[in-house]
Amino acid sequence: MTEFMPLILFAVVCIVLMCGFPVAFTLAGTSLLFAGIGLLTGTFDAAFLSAMPNRLFGVLSNQILIAVPLFVFMGVMLEKSRIAEQLLRNLGLLFGPARGGLGISVILVGMLLAASTGIVGAPVVTMGLISLPAMLRNQYSPALASGTICATGTLGQIIPPSTALIILGDVLSSAYQQAQLKMGIFSPDTVSVADLFVGALVPGLLLVVGYLAYVIVVAIVKPNAAPAVADREPLTPRFLLSLLQGLLPPLLLIVAVLGSILTGKATPTEAAGIGALGALILALVYGQLTVQRLREVVDATLQVTSMIFLIFIGAALFSLVFRGFGGEELVHDIFSDLPGGVFTAMLLVMVVIFLLGFILDFIEITFVVVPIVAPVLLAMGVDPVWLGIMIAINLQTSFLTPPFGFALFYLRGVAPADLPTRTLYKGVMPFIAIQVGILLLLAAFPQLATWLPDQIYG
Amino acid sequence: MNSLISTIDQITRLTGHCVRWLALLMVLATCAVVILRYAFDLPSIALQESVMYLHSALFMLGAAYTWQQGGHVRVDVFYRNWIGERPAWAERLGIVLLVVPVCVFLLWVSWEYVASAWAIREKSQEAAGLPFVYLLKSLILLLPILLLLQAIAEFLKTFRPDESLTAANTSNGGQHD
Repeated sequence: MTEFMPLILFAVVCIVLMCGFPVAFTLAGTSLLFAGIGLLTGTFDAAFLSAMPNRLFGVLSNQILIAVPLFVFMGVMLEKSRIAEQLLRNLGLLFGPARGGLGISVILVGMLLAASTGIVGAPVVTMGLISLPAMLRNQYSPALASGTICATGTLGQIIPPSTALIILGDVLSSAYQQAQLKMGIFSPDTVSVADLFVGALVPGLLLVVGYLAYVIVVAIVKPNAAPAVADREPLTPRFLLSLLQGLLPPLLLIVAVLGSILTGKATPTEAAGIGALGALILALVYGQLTVQRLREVVDATLQVTSMIFLIFIGAALFSLVFRGFGGEELVHDIFSDLPGGVFTAMLLVMVVIFLLGFILDFIEITFVVVPIVAPVLLAMGVDPVWLGIMIAINLQTSFLTPPFGFALFYLRGVAPADLPTRTLYKGVMPFIAIQVGILLLLAAFPQLATWLPDQIYG
Repeated sequence: MNSLISTIDQITRLTGHCVRWLALLMVLATCAVVILRYAFDLPSIALQESVMYLHSALFMLGAAYTWQQGGHVRVDVFYRNWIGERPAWAERLGIVLLVVPVCVFLLWVSWEYVASAWAIREKSQEAAGLPFVYLLKSLILLLPILLLLQAIAEFLKTFRPDESLTAANTSNGGQHD
């Protein structure tokens, strides 16, 4: 019984989570109750709990995660200053006259928006509010429209610079060091946030290409599902100029931020700071910066940051208690007893993470589950960048999958009431197939994720 | 009861409304570090550390406000369909069994740690760094204190009719509005 305490702890945490109390408190509180029971029954060493202040200080002084509030600031600023809306309108006017053109512009804007926000949910909501009405008004099939928006909205996790990848990069880098130290390598290799960003580029773009191809195929095979937009704009120089004015600045901002990280010119934190200032200046130039709006942006930044870091703190307590009950050894034993070695272990982890994606979002899974499984997998020789990208795409797929996928809930919340949920589910199916296809491709050819980082960083 | 709730809510709101501007300061300070480094080739360890202080203060002092505003993500798989007294009971139990013990534990386990930092007025390990590590560590105590305060208000709110859980019901992780 005692040796299974870590698994019982994990299961109970999941059950309590579903009662709807804030995740951070649930993680910390349930773990503490278990530690209390363990102390009373003499199965838990109090020394594990006394490490908590040090862990907390570790959260405060974590240098990598300082980039998080800065990126959140940048994303919220771009979102609240309506730059995305303007972009979508312009691109819609450009591509609209072609069949499927509006769908294509939604995917492209979604990709840009995703690259700038990178928070689960926010892009789906924004796109649902802006793009869905536009697509429905232009006689797009509701299933295609809602599927496109859900899928594109989840791209934020995989397309860099994504907040999700920063957190994952931080967790994976400590897991990687831990794994190597255990293997007796005392000058360990490192994996950085930049590695993960570069590794995500090819798979992320493949997903975008997959989505685009699907919309184009539908437009050819079933013209009624993705018709040409009725209201056209003649391609005058004036129109092209206004298109460029709307498109170039945010694009340049994102390219500059990403480029300075990828070329190693700037740390993610520095790039995020400059990106945030750039977004502020953009909003000012577009005449969208008011005191009220700035207040909204800092408030949203505060709330999202607090939400993320309180989960980090809750997860720190959870992991202390989990280890105190011998969880690390247990997971290690389970994995090494599996027939089929690395392949089965990886498959098991992917299935578990996929299922957990129904109740937990990216941040919680990264802080709670990845530190448990990653060191074991990495010690078995799995490449850290590949592992990170596999987890990211897997979770993204999970968020799209009915009936529990997060993206579906977010879109349901902002979609018109007469759009049947069934249509929504039908609409995401082809996109889930694309996701699974890319996931299998990546599983078969890890080079898709590892090749580019190798080329750049050697 | 209502006056106690609104007093606490006001205190928490006030902290939130002050602390949120640290986000803007953080952006500006980070950019200052970058400009000093790349344009003038000047190191700025103290400024760099101040970004870390701002960052820490942002979420440690803002967590209670975020709770009040319904910004802490919840798993609402079942919760969203619950009606009647059930969400209120889940909230009460969560506050009494989860939040309060965790906050008391954090205060108890961190007290010595923070006190010893104060005793020596702990400085940065970098010579050119900020000499305020003891203040940074004090955030570890301020977080549970602010959360406990808000816990009282949130607990009492569950006994109010109608609007008891409106904040909770409209909350959803990554959405910020």
